[in-house]
Amino acid sequence: MVRPSAILPRMRTSLQWLQRYLTPADLTVDEADHVLTHVGFPIEEQVELPTGDMQLDVELTSNRGDCLCHVGLAREIAASTGRTLAVPTPKISESGPDVSSLTSVDNRVPDVCPLFTARVIRGVRVGPSPAWLVEALEAIGQRSINNVVDISNFVLFELGHPNHTFDLDRLKGGIHVRAATGGETLMCLDDIEHKLHTDDVVVADDSGPVSLAGVIGGRPTGVTEETTNVLIEVATWDPTRVRNTARRHQITTDAGHRFERYVDARDVETASRRVAELIMEVAGGELCSGVIMAGSADAPRTVVDFRLSRCEHLLGIEVPREELVRLLTTVEIAVEETGDPDVLRCTIPHHRHDVTREVDLIEEVIRLHGIEHIEVAPRMEVIVRPPQSDERACRMIGDVLTGQGFYETVTVSFLTEQQARPFIAPGGRLLKVDEDRRKENPWLRPAIIPSLLTCRKANQDGRVHPPEGVRLFETASVFGEVDDGETFGRQTLEFRNLALLADLPRGMKAAEAGQAGVRTILGAVESVARSLGGPQVKVDVVRHDQPVWSAYDGKAWAALHLNGAMLGTFGLIARPTLDQWGLEEGVVCAEVNLDALVALFPPVSSAHPLPSFPGIERDLSIILDEATPWSDVEAVIEAARLDLMVGHEFVTTYRGKQIGAGRKSVTLRLHFRDPERTLRHEEVDPQMETLMGLCREKLSAEIRG
Amino acid sequence: MLDTLNQLEQQGLAELNSVADAAALEQWRITYLGSKGRLKGAMAGLKDVPREEKPAVGKRSNEVKRALESAFESRKATMGGGGGSSGPVIDMTEPGTAPTLGRRHIITRVREELCEVFARMGFAVASGPELEDDEHNFVKLNIPDSHPAREPIDNFYVAEQGNRERPRMLRSQTSTVQIRVLDQALREGWGPPVKVVAPGRVYRPDTVDATHMYMFHQIEGLYVDRRVTMADLKTTLFQFARAYFGEEAEIRLRPSFFPFTEPSAEFDMKIQLRPDQPPKWVELGGCGMVDPAVLEAVGCDPEAWTGFAFGFGIERIAMGRYNIPDIRMLFENDIRFLEQL
Repeated sequence: MVRPSAILPRMRTSLQWLQRYLTPADLTVDEADHVLTHVGFPIEEQVELPTGDMQLDVELTSNRGDCLCHVGLAREIAASTGRTLAVPTPKISESGPDVSSLTSVDNRVPDVCPLFTARVIRGVRVGPSPAWLVEALEAIGQRSINNVVDISNFVLFELGHPNHTFDLDRLKGGIHVRAATGGETLMCLDDIEHKLHTDDVVVADDSGPVSLAGVIGGRPTGVTEETTNVLIEVATWDPTRVRNTARRHQITTDAGHRFERYVDARDVETASRRVAELIMEVAGGELCSGVIMAGSADAPRTVVDFRLSRCEHLLGIEVPREELVRLLTTVEIAVEETGDPDVLRCTIPHHRHDVTREVDLIEEVIRLHGIEHIEVAPRMEVIVRPPQSDERACRMIGDVLTGQGFYETVTVSFLTEQQARPFIAPGGRLLKVDEDRRKENPWLRPAIIPSLLTCRKANQDGRVHPPEGVRLFETASVFGEVDDGETFGRQTLEFRNLALLADLPRGMKAAEAGQAGVRTILGAVESVARSLGGPQVKVDVVRHDQPVWSAYDGKAWAALHLNGAMLGTFGLIARPTLDQWGLEEGVVCAEVNLDALVALFPPVSSAHPLPSFPGIERDLSIILDEATPWSDVEAVIEAARLDLMVGHEFVTTYRGKQIGAGRKSVTLRLHFRDPERTLRHEEVDPQMETLMGLCREKLSAEIRG
Repeated sequence: MLDTLNQLEQQGLAELNSVADAAALEQWRITYLGSKGRLKGAMAGLKDVPREEKPAVGKRSNEVKRALESAFESRKATMGGGGGSSGPVIDMTEPGTAPTLGRRHIITRVREELCEVFARMGFAVASGPELEDDEHNFVKLNIPDSHPAREPIDNFYVAEQGNRERPRMLRSQTSTVQIRVLDQALREGWGPPVKVVAPGRVYRPDTVDATHMYMFHQIEGLYVDRRVTMADLKTTLFQFARAYFGEEAEIRLRPSFFPFTEPSAEFDMKIQLRPDQPPKWVELGGCGMVDPAVLEAVGCDPEAWTGFAFGFGIERIAMGRYNIPDIRMLFENDIRFLEQL
């Protein structure tokens, strides 16, 4: 619940302009700031103007389109301060011929345009605006254009009703409200020739579009110095259609901004009268009789039943009945009693499009009453939860790895195509986000290792050399998809992985460094698995011929299995991949499935009495074919079932001339013990013989000296 | 014989007391405890002692030997090391060493601290996928098609070749987990009541600067039960602030709007982010009572169940607490930065 800042609408407001609608008109900046913040519309910026007026940049919430105008904000201020709201009531005298003799309106899309109204004033004198009008518009950062256009804008910011004035003489024939047809274009007031889309709705005359409905007017039919006869359009438009058109043409206008947030048809006629009244006041002229109304302004009033008990249930405090009625009344919600003492019947004013349900009224009550009246309790009820494995396991992974010198990283989930490519498994499919949003790196990472390589490079650039080399790990989601064709279709894959990276040790021959690095990273994974699952957990190394990722050195990578299932992979990063990241020194990486590891938790372990008698250790060196894996050696040790043996470990591998090419000498250490008494060497000898025999037989091993 | 021993002891201890330096101490040792010293000499007389006195004399001579030896050792210790050590030279002032330890990332640690405090207040930790669909990110959260929050420009939608029933996207908020958890609780029959916090990564195509990143972390809270009130919400946030930031924490709610809560509020906390700074008001996040439309969307009767939800950013807290000037530092992972925190 953290809001992207771009989503909140802002409204530039003039303090003096607000005063026009308030009695008494003595609102100070501090009071405005306090009151508006209190009801949810904080003032983000205040600018003192040379005229002595104050410009207030008010942050609104997206549900309150009715407050995107001075009357709307004055209404909120009046409600909270006890001032009287003076809404302008336009007085007009219609002396000209009937408007329908001069123009006509044909509304073909009533679902997009619920109401379109037209009035005509003849004989206006277009010219500069009077000082009050220029000052008012400039106070909110608007430029004065001419008296007619300025009034159109003034009413927009006064009542929140966007409207448009046409030069009647430049309109050819009647007005048609319709969808644009393919190939139509319109030169708009932004001086751009917009190519229209069939989803756009336009206001057109007999020759073609004259304005992009609800968004912007056309240049050729706009009011200019030469205009004498004006057609006033005040209409309402479907918010979604307006938004789509505005986005499609990348036009942001004050009109579109308001239509996107809903403008009620029932107040359109009043707004039209207000425009006419003010144009005649500043530009003269003769108003034609009547108004063309294409569409309907009839909509039933919203009536909502409000339960006092529900209000208390949701808020946790009791707002006294009289207070509650008073609060709702201040925002022009009419409250009536019903037969039920718990229920009040509330009639919602037109402009409050956001109030349709009981819960909306409850919000209105607490907003106006003040959330600060809700007291915090000194104590609270708690249900004690058992510990959560997932949380504890992840913490343990961090503890085990940091203990081995690994730093945890947090990296972003996006990659460039080039970074992703070495980590695409055969048959794997990657996902990417809309490239307009992330031009350089739109791919969702299929693995964390590429991000760790990037971090490794950042540390190389920073010349960071910890004694054991750079060691990094991260747990994060990785992404991809599978396509099961017609049966299941495409399925999104998201896994949580654990990835590790370690520098190869320095000051060693390449082969030795690689060997040591691989053992470090395998040891890290094993230690994590054993910490999570207990000492008996075994991670199996399984070699494959073809690497899953081209990022790995083809000869120095292997899969990791846990309980027979694939856990992940580890290996040396191949030189071309290192080069791609600009890394000078070799690194070894592992990437494993985090959920499989977490599933091991909690560890199964129990205490055993410590041995009372000394044991015997024996070392055994066997010469093996280079290809023989350690797991085969372990399999033979296990198969030997030596009853006195209590454990074994790897000691070292030796390669050299004495051993011969393609062969290696592996030394292991075996631990023997009898729990009941001190073991004698003569008892161990036959067990060693058995093991050596098996090594010769199963591994074709030669026993060394 | 016993007298000789007593005398030897008294004399030896007295002389030891007046020893002034290491050389004199060593001389004393040779005189009394050396292989040709007075104690050895006295012990040699043991063989002439009548048989029946031998046990007592033997016992006494051992006592004297131990008394002199122990007095010598303690005198040597108090004289300050000099006692003729023949071992290698040890420089006690060289700096200490320790195995290299890594660090958990500060975001993970703050996330864990937050979860821990909420766990003490009875919240379980829940999670949900980062790759979501608009059903969970928008529709069920009461954000209709026409809502500006759904604009492609403000979201990371997955670029698709073919048409899909539901557009996929990276979640823009952790509120998606509200839906996931309620759905799951009802499906599996263990709730509501549901009381969870859901920390995680969220994605928004913001322009990157010192305080904005296109990926960041949020923590979301949700509590749905038979009679959860807005007073419970305020209490929970206040108790959290106090438990995490200290005794002086205060909380302030300002009316606001979110499609998935009604009533909605922004919450500020007066908190001491750092011990070296006084408490100050910080705008932290949004909260409110779960909108009935959200409860209905998951099949929960809003007349029977009510709930609250809240959410705030994790980076904001980490940056404030640890004086991190630029959010980008958190994602570069330079070890020189990581090991500072």
